Amino acid sequence: MSPLVLSAWSAVSPYGVGSASFSEGITAGRSAVGTLDRAAYPGPFERGGLVPDFTAARYVGRKGTRTMDRVTALAVTAVGRLLASCDAEPARRPEETALVLGTGSGSVQSIMDFTRDSFASERPYHVDPARMPNTVMNRAAGQSAIWHGIKGPNTTIAGGWLTGLLALSYAVRLHRGGHCARVLCGAAEEYSTQRAWLEWHGRTAEERSAPLGEGSAVFLLETPEDAAAAGRSPLARVRSTRFRAFGEQGEARTALAACVRDALETTGVAADDVRLVAPLGAGGELAALEEAGVADALGATDSRWVRCRPLLGDTSAASTSLQLAAVLATVGGPGLAPGEAALVTGIERDGTVGCALLTGA
Amino acid sequence: MYDNDQRPPRRVVITGLGTISSIGLGVAAFLDGLRSGRSGVKPITAFDTTGFAHANGCEVDDFDPAEWIRRVDPDELGRATQFSVAAANLAVADAGLSLEELRQRRALVSVGTTDAEARDLDGLVELQLKDGPEQLPPGVVRRAQAGRLSTGIVRELGLTDVEALTIPTACAAGNYAIGSGFDAIRGGEVEVALCGGADAVCRKTFAGFYRLGTIAPEVCQPFDKDRKGILTGEGAGILLMESLESARARGARVYAEVLGYGLNCDAHHPVAPDQGSLARCMEVAHRNAGVKPEDIDFISAHGTGTRANDVTEAGAIRQVFAAPPPTISIKSMIGHSMGAASALASAACALALTEGFIPPTINHRETDPECGLDCVPNEARPAELNVVQNNALAFAGNNAVLIFGRYREAE
Repeated sequence: MSPLVLSAWSAVSPYGVGSASFSEGITAGRSAVGTLDRAAYPGPFERGGLVPDFTAARYVGRKGTRTMDRVTALAVTAVGRLLASCDAEPARRPEETALVLGTGSGSVQSIMDFTRDSFASERPYHVDPARMPNTVMNRAAGQSAIWHGIKGPNTTIAGGWLTGLLALSYAVRLHRGGHCARVLCGAAEEYSTQRAWLEWHGRTAEERSAPLGEGSAVFLLETPEDAAAAGRSPLARVRSTRFRAFGEQGEARTALAACVRDALETTGVAADDVRLVAPLGAGGELAALEEAGVADALGATDSRWVRCRPLLGDTSAASTSLQLAAVLATVGGPGLAPGEAALVTGIERDGTVGCALLTGA
Repeated sequence: MYDNDQRPPRRVVITGLGTISSIGLGVAAFLDGLRSGRSGVKPITAFDTTGFAHANGCEVDDFDPAEWIRRVDPDELGRATQFSVAAANLAVADAGLSLEELRQRRALVSVGTTDAEARDLDGLVELQLKDGPEQLPPGVVRRAQAGRLSTGIVRELGLTDVEALTIPTACAAGNYAIGSGFDAIRGGEVEVALCGGADAVCRKTFAGFYRLGTIAPEVCQPFDKDRKGILTGEGAGILLMESLESARARGARVYAEVLGYGLNCDAHHPVAPDQGSLARCMEVAHRNAGVKPEDIDFISAHGTGTRANDVTEAGAIRQVFAAPPPTISIKSMIGHSMGAASALASAACALALTEGFIPPTINHRETDPECGLDCVPNEARPAELNVVQNNALAFAGNNAVLIFGRYREAE
């Protein structure tokens, strides 16, 4: 069995809807963090990276979207654009196609608004039944499947900042286990006032004021044979994912270095071949530990570092998926060249680290 | 932990069970409850139920986290994570693995959930309504994260060589998590997997199901002609899985072998199940596990006790099975523990295979002819079992079916 390849992708990001605006913004290194509309988004932040003018009605359509929340609409849009970019071909074999989507806590806005209605209404059960599915965390993945007719395994993954890497790892495992022929895999996160307040209170003082972002990135993961048969040229091979955990914060550096070394050793990829590194860059002091850990493992290389965080804000559960998209955006149309490798990394404040190693197809 | 080494598939066995349920803490109490048909029903105490005409549930009411959690401060964990961590401790102890041995193995921790720490989110909403959003307690905000359900286990057990993920695929999530652990052991990616599901009773979910008219006033009666709906429940089930080779090498007791599983998505309706799609999921599971319908000795059904679920599920079973085997629902005893439901049902299947009995469907008076299944009413039935099936369905049409087999030493 040859490694799975990434052969198509889409992004909905603070740069706009679609991979073109994302690629343009990332390669230009232009920040998409702007001033928030404080009437629409009261709360502790004045700045944020929001998908401009994004609403479900505008991008998903007016029909059937009255109760669709923002994270669901972001996911449905990203999956829709991914399918459109490959002529909807994966959706024509719906039973063989899996959808694996990462989320933070679904929509905390939807969840907490629902509870608020129970507290604040005349009767505790005066809640909107049409909105109940929004309070369940598999809503975005499930609705994306319903919207686009994807009938294979449909799995929601959560793991804080590592969510996108964990979704990728889960997706390749699912494929290897014989549960699907291809996977649409990625993550989505929404900006909401409720999420903003939770992030604000949950963060340490040093990272408290860093702006939040939102977005979604989704990838088509398939065999090189299937890609070739469909006339798609692979952009990268997924060679390895690795995860570890650490106790004290200072151990994050060695834990991540061990992940990267293990990924390189197992696949026989040389550190010098790693041309691109896309780190998470989040969590105050953790960001410096992350860069140091990667540098420990790679040694002295002239790898190019693509840092999404200053450009997009803290996109939480979508972070590592958007980093992966940033790698593909940076290498451009033909993808990673033979002999070239790229690394996506992350450290989660809960005490876990992870990386994904990609090479040229 | 993905890389592309070619390794021959390994057999996967369950050697440790950790269960926290409304019918008992720990596997011995759970087994006794399943055998004796114990009911976990009582009035809900998790939140103020004033204004609801009825509010029974299946809560875990004798759980002192300090008794079950040793290394992590229980206050840093929400209630669902406390259940998850406690169940993991129990599973490790039950498997007879020392912490030292466990930490030397590369591990996967995957925990399914519907609501994660929605109980804490409910509390935060109440505080917000009272004092505004400026004053929320940071400790509660931090612990109210879905990822904690799996990373909590990692911290408690002091694991380092580990991949930890939470799978919030709602009410089928436990089966999803166990399936992923099965694949990871089978493919040689990891040497041990701690997988299952956890949830805590919360106001949000109770209010939602109540509004939908699906909360039973008194008891849960799956497949009964007078069934009136679900009872929300809570708890956790964590299974410790390893390769057969590893279990044999350390002389571990084997509860059951995981033979395979199937997943699919109706891609049809946000809440209503689809008979044809569920039938297809069972067929996919049988194929993945290498079994035929006639091999299945009993089905542990999703069996929520709602009109829609039970008729649809029974219809799907009849579509796949020329002669349906006994089909039971432990939700009659422990209620619908959401993300923990299929994990606790998996533990029940493993115990049934080991102990040679089919757990009953309690509260049963008269089988709905529209369901027309032998639900093993009210009393457990002794049976020699070889292969059993565990169904799980979730909102958004997410189906997951696991197949377990009896492990015989002589093989």
